Amino acid sequence: MACTIYHDGVVNHADARLQVHRRDVKTDFPSVCTHCVSCGEDCCVLHCPVEAIKKENGMVYVNEDECTACGDCVEVCPFGVMRMEERAFNCDLCGGDPTCVKFCPMKAIVYEEPKPEQYELVKKMLKEEPQ
Amino acid sequence: MKGYTGKILKVDLTEEKPHVRTFDEKYVRKYLGGQGFCVELVYHGVPKGVDAFDPKNVLAMAGGLFDGFPVGTGGKVAFAAKSPATGTLAESIMGGSIGPELKHAGYDALEMVGKAEKPSYIFIDNDTVEVNEADDLWGKDTRQTADALKRRHGWDVKVACIGPAGEKLSKIACIDCDERQAGRAGLGAVMGSKNLKAIVVRGTNDLVPANPKKLLDLALHYQKVYEAAGSFVEDTKYGTGEFLGWVNKERGVFPTRNWQEAVFAEREKIDPYYWATRYVSKNKACFACTKPCGKLFEVKEGKFKGVAVDGVEYETLYALGGACGNPDVESVARANELCDIYGMDTISAGVTVGFAMELMQRGIITEKDVGFRLTWDNASDAVPRMIELMGRREGFGDVLADGVRVAAKKIGKGAERYAIHTKGMEPPAYDVRGMKGHGLAYMTSTRGACHLRAGFYAPELVGKFWKWVGIDRFSPAGKGAMVAQMENFMCVYDSVGLCKFSRGFYLIAKLLEVIEAITGLKFTEDELLKIGERIHNMKGSFNANEGMTRKDWLLPPRITEEPIPDGPSKGHKISVDEMNVMLDDYMKARGWTKDGVPTPEKLKELDIG
Repeated sequence: MACTIYHDGVVNHADARLQVHRRDVKTDFPSVCTHCVSCGEDCCVLHCPVEAIKKENGMVYVNEDECTACGDCVEVCPFGVMRMEERAFNCDLCGGDPTCVKFCPMKAIVYEEPKPEQYELVKKMLKEEPQ
Repeated sequence: MKGYTGKILKVDLTEEKPHVRTFDEKYVRKYLGGQGFCVELVYHGVPKGVDAFDPKNVLAMAGGLFDGFPVGTGGKVAFAAKSPATGTLAESIMGGSIGPELKHAGYDALEMVGKAEKPSYIFIDNDTVEVNEADDLWGKDTRQTADALKRRHGWDVKVACIGPAGEKLSKIACIDCDERQAGRAGLGAVMGSKNLKAIVVRGTNDLVPANPKKLLDLALHYQKVYEAAGSFVEDTKYGTGEFLGWVNKERGVFPTRNWQEAVFAEREKIDPYYWATRYVSKNKACFACTKPCGKLFEVKEGKFKGVAVDGVEYETLYALGGACGNPDVESVARANELCDIYGMDTISAGVTVGFAMELMQRGIITEKDVGFRLTWDNASDAVPRMIELMGRREGFGDVLADGVRVAAKKIGKGAERYAIHTKGMEPPAYDVRGMKGHGLAYMTSTRGACHLRAGFYAPELVGKFWKWVGIDRFSPAGKGAMVAQMENFMCVYDSVGLCKFSRGFYLIAKLLEVIEAITGLKFTEDELLKIGERIHNMKGSFNANEGMTRKDWLLPPRITEEPIPDGPSKGHKISVDEMNVMLDDYMKARGWTKDGVPTPEKLKELDIG
């Protein structure tokens, strides 16, 4: 909630750049990713037909003027990080001071350089069919 | 009008037709949201004298005003209907995630009437509202039901459903969402009577606060306030049971063995202070909670291996633990899990089992009646076994499945004497003989014995709260007015959708700026409390219309005649005289007749039509 209120002035967890996946009593986990390129999969930057997505300093940016809202980036992102409303958007780390990190009461969201094994873990959890 | 969707969705299950109506600022200023909306819908929607299982009964559901907004612990959803357990207008509040989701779907409240021809579920996906068949879900437990519906509609939908107990019209059946339950007053059975298995919601619309920046600042501010509070640390580590030891040792008001004692000698075995490190594998939170009291309790070995349950909460430790004389926390967790999946309220279910155990102790029922030894020394095995039978309504479980009042009547032979309840509802975990104002609150609660309608246990156990200091828990003096004021305050809480574990953080004045940031509406403290008073009066007036008066409110004989035998509250009881003094005070404070009927003048003053 803090995410969309900071970015858009409205509350809508469905549009938040960070998603919580909740399946059963044992499984619920958040996923957030801002470094899509580093994961080595087919990524949004390569797939964007109009080259509206750029990577700079490890951060992925969407140029909203060039975005045609075709949705290709949303399709290819294995983490569900790229989102689409009228234009594609993703996490911008709130310019380096993420609101969600400040907000997490359990200090479970940490702002740090991601490790490859974390990507693998999240991908596994997302794909896994619950028992 | 910011902060609200301004719409109420009505689904007629007989006609399978949805209908949307709008409301305006005047409605908000009268009822605020959440419980307020629910009570209004039931009060004006249910004709006099209608049976709780009649299709004409209204089941209302509404997210509180704060639901969907980043206000710590503000994600509660209210349900209300005429209760099958008590015959009163009863609301039940739970956490989970469906309240905020309903608001994102575009509705502040959902009103369900009629009865579906076949097992059905309501599916709401923003503007799409369907009544779908649920033949394949009928008979499934709450976990299987939620899982099947999420597989069908996507993992992002939110599901509130009933288990087999609700289908079988057990008067202690609950409604479940994310392993959180609207447990009390048998509202799950109202869903069952409507052939309604589940409510499935997906909401992806924006909710627009009046002042986003101010709201975010307030949210971050309160985040820090919570984190600095002692209760944050305790709740996060041990869950709501963190003060179980203290209630036993320092206050002596932990009802044990069906209220025969008030100190549980084997309490350390069920005290989370001792078991948390062994069984808790992670914290669980309701949507928007910043102070997670939920725990994932996992049993990894032994005869209860495989148990995984969101809990075990303080009330459940009492009901399935202390009240049943059960010192085995793994057995309590298993019974808790069974209650959850069959869809029964743990408090009512546990107290009912404890009641049957006392009947066996006294020879009123025997092993032959039950089929096994339902005795204190066999509690670890007997309690989960009995709970399962109740969930299935099999054998002796069928006798107990509607709570103590119905069970006592079926059993006869003087069993009524040992049925602990007010208005047909089993009491929560505070022995009111040692906290007299709370005893009054058990009587005045419109849904029967309840610790949360007035939340009066906190002021009495601690000795100070809100505007009061030096509260003497053994004295009936002045409690009438205090309980009435706390009830009004708590009605406001359930209407804004805040968890009552936050009531020490947001006292009434502090709600004002949050409400203004979300809605842009300015309220005064008195206006809010007036809304609370209105809600309580509507419930009181509904009950009086149904013929329930003061004589139906009274405490059971164990509390008025048998003093607490041991511990820090030894020798205390609430005598009939004390009961009457407090009730007289209360009626006066409420401006009601001595019989507990809201006067026409009072209703006019509060604009209740």
